[in-house]
Amino acid sequence: MNRIVDISTAQLLLALLFILIAQASSFIYHLGLNRDITIGTIRTFSQLFLMGYVLTFILKSSSLWLVISVFVVMVVSALFIVKGRVKETQIAYIIPTFLTMFISYFATALFVSGLIVGITPWWDPRYFIPAGGMVIGNSMSALAIALERLFRDLREERELVEMKLALGADYREASDDIFRKAIRAGMIPSINAMMGVGLVFIPGMMSGQILAGTDPLIAIRYQIVVMLMLVGSTAVTSVVVMLIVRRRCFGSGEEVLLTPR
Amino acid sequence: MNPLLEIRKLSFGYEGSQSPVFDALDLTVRTGDFILVKGASGTGKSTLLRLICRLNRPDGGTILFQGSDISSVAPAKLRSLISYVAQIPQMIDASVEENLLLPFSFAANASKSPPRRDELRAMLRKFYLEEVTPDQSALKLSVGQKQRLAIMRALLQEPLLLLLDEPTSALDRESASMVFALMEHLNVEEGKTLITVTHTDYKPEKVQPLNYMLEQHRLHLLP
Repeated sequence: MNRIVDISTAQLLLALLFILIAQASSFIYHLGLNRDITIGTIRTFSQLFLMGYVLTFILKSSSLWLVISVFVVMVVSALFIVKGRVKETQIAYIIPTFLTMFISYFATALFVSGLIVGITPWWDPRYFIPAGGMVIGNSMSALAIALERLFRDLREERELVEMKLALGADYREASDDIFRKAIRAGMIPSINAMMGVGLVFIPGMMSGQILAGTDPLIAIRYQIVVMLMLVGSTAVTSVVVMLIVRRRCFGSGEEVLLTPR
Repeated sequence: MNPLLEIRKLSFGYEGSQSPVFDALDLTVRTGDFILVKGASGTGKSTLLRLICRLNRPDGGTILFQGSDISSVAPAKLRSLISYVAQIPQMIDASVEENLLLPFSFAANASKSPPRRDELRAMLRKFYLEEVTPDQSALKLSVGQKQRLAIMRALLQEPLLLLLDEPTSALDRESASMVFALMEHLNVEEGKTLITVTHTDYKPEKVQPLNYMLEQHRLHLLP
């Protein structure tokens, strides 16, 4: 069972056949995707090879500070992806978002590797980095959806929010509906993933473990921990970031600062 | 007697705009005043009302309400005392009754008791809304009905000052005259203090208003 089949370079290149099929489809049906498929393929190879070498180096080095540095780089990269999707220039949300992401993801990864898996040291990169990566990757999407929704709805429903403010609501009461809807929109994909897992799809991490020879009954335990970890960290990060960012959307007189685009 | 509202040397300009909207604007409002602010569009009539209830922040000057600088009063508390009704009336997607009771769901109005249903019905009649029932959807009302409902809702929290932004701009002549009659009734019979922004040449019948013209970044009292 624990036999890992290595993929040789020739076998790896054979997988490019899939790309050839995709390129042919794009070419025949004028999908205009040939360039993107080429760039995507090159990036997949280069980024993952780079990641492989970096991970090999980190796993061998056993340095706490190196692990934390990698973690910071992962959070900063996620922040840039969120920033690219949200495209908000009026409200300064970057720094509080970064701090919340860092603290929440760090605490989650620490909890999973140190307490649930019980590995020593708690920062063993073999557990800490993948756990961190999964938390960051999932929660990042939730955060981008929630933030984008918060800014959009506050702009679109500005007059309704101001009506409530004018009737004596504080900023929390006036934006309560928008706040809840935004967090829900961000959380729903993680919750839906819990509904479909094992029935509709086999998650990437579990597939990887099984392909690499792990007993499926061990792999599912890891996967359960991962699913619960993702929902929990997404909820905490979304709520905290949204509480801070929502306050920043209102001025000292609790007036709406977002103006129509 | 102290004025209810006192604006001194108010200045305000929109970000990115070269010319200011207000420059050293002054205004004194006493309890029971019926103030009409007129002026061409774009002179900042709506902005003035929004600054009084802190929906916009001034660049300079002071606004005193009952002798206190409004920036030192909790915003929600201030807005439970100064009620602002926007030009386009806003309703939540709920019944007329839920819309009318909305202010009472906010902490700043917690000490005020909401009206009973029979009181609401009586008020609806007073606001020329006898055909409207508390159970019907507020979003399905006409603009004129929504406008009167919005004024009624603002008054339910018993503010000391009512700010009305172009309350008749979207209304036909008949609906507009109902709103004007209502404004005069509130001032004469109930002693409410009103500042109304309008671009019409409305001349009240029962009230002696203080007419101001907003031009060249300031308010000018008309004879």
